[in-house]
Amino acid sequence: MALSREIYQALEAVVGKRNISENIGVCESYRSIPAQSSAHYGPSEDWTPRPQAVVLPGSTEEVRGVVEICNKYKIEFKAASTFWATMGYIGGDCAIQLDMRRMKKIEIDAKNMCAIVEPFAIGATVQAEAMKVGLNLNIPGVGCSSSTLANFSSWIAFGPNSISMGQGSENILAMEWVLASGEVLRTGSLGSGDGWFCGEGPGPSQRGLLRGIFGAAGSLGVCTRMAVRLHPWPGPKDYPTYGQAPAYKADFGDNFKCYTLCYPTWEAWARSIQYFYECDVAYSGHRQFNMFGRDLKGAMLNIITNPDGQLADLNTLVNDPYIIEQNAKMKHEYQIIIAGMTKRDMEYKEAAVDYILKQTGGWKSEMMLKKEMHDYALAYLTRLGHKNLNFVMCGAYEGVLGLSSNIWKAIQVAEEATDTKKFWEQNHDHIAATGGDSAMGSLSGIGGGGATGWEFFTNFDAYDKESVRGTCKFVDTTQALHNKYGFGPDFCRWNSDVRHMNGYYFTQEEHDEMFSKAAQPWVFGYQYKIREIVNPNNLCGTYFRTANPSKLEAAGKGK
Amino acid sequence: MALIDYRPMMERCSSCAGCKFIPFEKIKGVRFAENCPSIGYYNFMTYSARGRFQLSQSLLDGKAKLDETVTEAIHSCTSCGYCDIGCKITRYNLDVLDHNIEQKAYAVENGKTLPGQKPVIENLKNENSMIPGTKKADRAAWAKDLKMKDLNKESGTVAFFPGCKYSYDKKLQKVAQSAVKLLQGAGVDLGYLGAADNCCAGRAQQMGFFGDFKHRADSNIKAFEKAGVKTIVTPCSDCYHAFKRQYAKLGFKVEVLHVVEYIDKLIKEGKIKFTKSIPMTVTYHDPCHLGRLGEPFIPWEGKEKKIYNQIHTWEPKRPRYNGIYGIYDAPRDILKAIPGINLVEMERIREYSWCCGAGGGCNESNPDFSAWTAGERIAEANATGADAMVTACPWCKDNFTNAADEDGNKIEVLDVIELVQRAL
Repeated sequence: MALSREIYQALEAVVGKRNISENIGVCESYRSIPAQSSAHYGPSEDWTPRPQAVVLPGSTEEVRGVVEICNKYKIEFKAASTFWATMGYIGGDCAIQLDMRRMKKIEIDAKNMCAIVEPFAIGATVQAEAMKVGLNLNIPGVGCSSSTLANFSSWIAFGPNSISMGQGSENILAMEWVLASGEVLRTGSLGSGDGWFCGEGPGPSQRGLLRGIFGAAGSLGVCTRMAVRLHPWPGPKDYPTYGQAPAYKADFGDNFKCYTLCYPTWEAWARSIQYFYECDVAYSGHRQFNMFGRDLKGAMLNIITNPDGQLADLNTLVNDPYIIEQNAKMKHEYQIIIAGMTKRDMEYKEAAVDYILKQTGGWKSEMMLKKEMHDYALAYLTRLGHKNLNFVMCGAYEGVLGLSSNIWKAIQVAEEATDTKKFWEQNHDHIAATGGDSAMGSLSGIGGGGATGWEFFTNFDAYDKESVRGTCKFVDTTQALHNKYGFGPDFCRWNSDVRHMNGYYFTQEEHDEMFSKAAQPWVFGYQYKIREIVNPNNLCGTYFRTANPSKLEAAGKGK
Repeated sequence: MALIDYRPMMERCSSCAGCKFIPFEKIKGVRFAENCPSIGYYNFMTYSARGRFQLSQSLLDGKAKLDETVTEAIHSCTSCGYCDIGCKITRYNLDVLDHNIEQKAYAVENGKTLPGQKPVIENLKNENSMIPGTKKADRAAWAKDLKMKDLNKESGTVAFFPGCKYSYDKKLQKVAQSAVKLLQGAGVDLGYLGAADNCCAGRAQQMGFFGDFKHRADSNIKAFEKAGVKTIVTPCSDCYHAFKRQYAKLGFKVEVLHVVEYIDKLIKEGKIKFTKSIPMTVTYHDPCHLGRLGEPFIPWEGKEKKIYNQIHTWEPKRPRYNGIYGIYDAPRDILKAIPGINLVEMERIREYSWCCGAGGGCNESNPDFSAWTAGERIAEANATGADAMVTACPWCKDNFTNAADEDGNKIEVLDVIELVQRAL
């Protein structure tokens, strides 16, 4: 259903002729292919629907103008910046896609330790600008190629630095938000005309309303500017790298160390993390390279640090006795970065790491202490510029067995989860056989320590439909394991209550029916009331889950 | 290959944005972080390598059509190849540039070209030159006062190949003439093809006109072989790429050197000595086809093989082009050897250099886009504080010379050869 000339011309008048297109070829390139990226409801072979037009606003005023037109004509819209996640794409037939790439400004406020960012400012550019004044930010696990604003405003946003810097919701200061109604909301100190330095103001937390802990994935309008908290960076101001593409490495000097710490048991592993929570010496903490799998990670690390390395080298490297030995030693491992503000601070942190290892019977991986390997891991984890190695093996992956809870609870099922995946690898050929355990993620998804952010990377081939369908069946298996332990929806199923497998959103009626059966249906009833205020025409999709209170009442769920 | 042969790659693209930015570890700030001129200018996803993959799927599935907008999007690519390098930082199996050019060929096969491309290709067909309005009869005029052997008449093994731009552009001809004199002065026994000297047609390949490229390449290969040429020396980066990579795919086996490689060698052997100081701060622009696309061709034939159930490899092991083995150090070493020269670097260099905008024939077919692309580089060069931007390609030099940044600022543009000549 094409937009009427009246609507198209109204949109064109707002953004200009150069910044709108309804050409079918152009609009086709704005469809998400959920088999290719981690959509968390699939993987699915069906693409999301084609938008009726793509609009590229260049300012908050233009966004507001577009949103007002959408409200006037009741057209669904969705904004996205870097278009990695399926969450950013539209999910209906009468919808337009907002591409935010024209809005990419970054302003660093060193005095107030914050960056004011527009939607297309990605983690790498924000970090590079912040480092010029000795500051840094939390780049979430998705990597530095993604929009900082989208991560922080609309999703969880935890990563290696979260242990010292916190996750997305902990780093938002003031925001400028074009609500789905078209009204422009300025939160915190910005709303009082006092600048960007503070996220909260009088009254209820607008930050809490607009994103909560998970974020609304763009379902409540378009965040156009945001101040994000910056944190001390004791490293160089210009991010020095060396080495040949693609194996870039970084040497920040003696006040940075990246260790791969290994332990004899899961219990010792968890206890060491608990110590890190308590002693507050980790700048970053992540279980990163296990994403390649327990059996392949040593070989993959040797491939990705070699400019001429290829996946075809796997067979040889996997059977190398040294790598077999290293893999065995790195069975229960994670990476830690310590950063010294002073020489004495660094000495203290080194001593703390050694003390924790002594207390837990742990050791530092010798392979990862080799300078080139160390410097590669340091570059990898500080910038997260190689995060898309997620896809290197097969072209697609989905995160399963998302044990994002207390470390002590997670380790109880770690080996059962490993066996579950390994069984599938050995008895089906739909997913890559990487050794069962491919659990990776943040040591702490929140600042200071606490819940982890794990997922088992499951690599499959988006081009091979048998692989896609087989992975779907495997995901049913992992969900069964989650159900057994009362862990709720698996990571790969988090959005299965938002979109159908064909990429279309659920309707409000379907959500009313679905959420009336939820354990706490009035959570969704409450969210419905919020949405009624900021998104009265329900135009931005269904990632902000709601249930009509009247339907809940009719279903006997109280008032 | 045909467009459909790229289907597995299209479906395995993970929309990671690596094709749009310089390697993320190399980003120094927001201003010069991006590295796809096409999406940089047109902004819609369709103009990025990711969007092009998706567009191809839709074309093959009959959802999108080769209408005017889609045709323009397909051809609005300078074929600079950065997307391919950016992709290969984390994805080892996708041939992004080859796909982009195949997509152009698909449009060409279906009769969908841009108005500005027609005179270029017509001139190639009729006059063996890709500069509209130039005549075959005038091609060798630039060399009339040079004492070079005509290799069709005299024996010799080293052929100087100026390329169309240096042969016809009056402002640039003196650079090629200087190059010849430099090499001859250092004792190189240099010849050229005389009447058989024709366009390499590398730009036709970049534009997706595969038939015209093949026709011209086959003819040129015969001419080189007939003349007994063992080494080609060229001052043009497009020609260098054509001979080194594209002709090599057709079985052409001669040594191919860019003039900067030869001059660098002669300086290091003490055969070229500088007598003058040039007190200048300069920055060097890596031409795409000398740098990341200047890696030698490695023959390979094989097929995909999955290991560990689903991991993609090739059997036998396939060569990997990361861009790192292109020609980067030779021009820099020359500049560093010239007394008085202070070389400063831009943010986007070597394998992740920004394009001049002339690639893929875009200076003829999409002049506004091409000029904007050049202007972006001029802004970057000026940000270094350099007095001049030096390069090693006539297409780059010409495009920069005729462009300005968004504020109207220009910069002096020099070829490496010009600076060497000044310092002798």
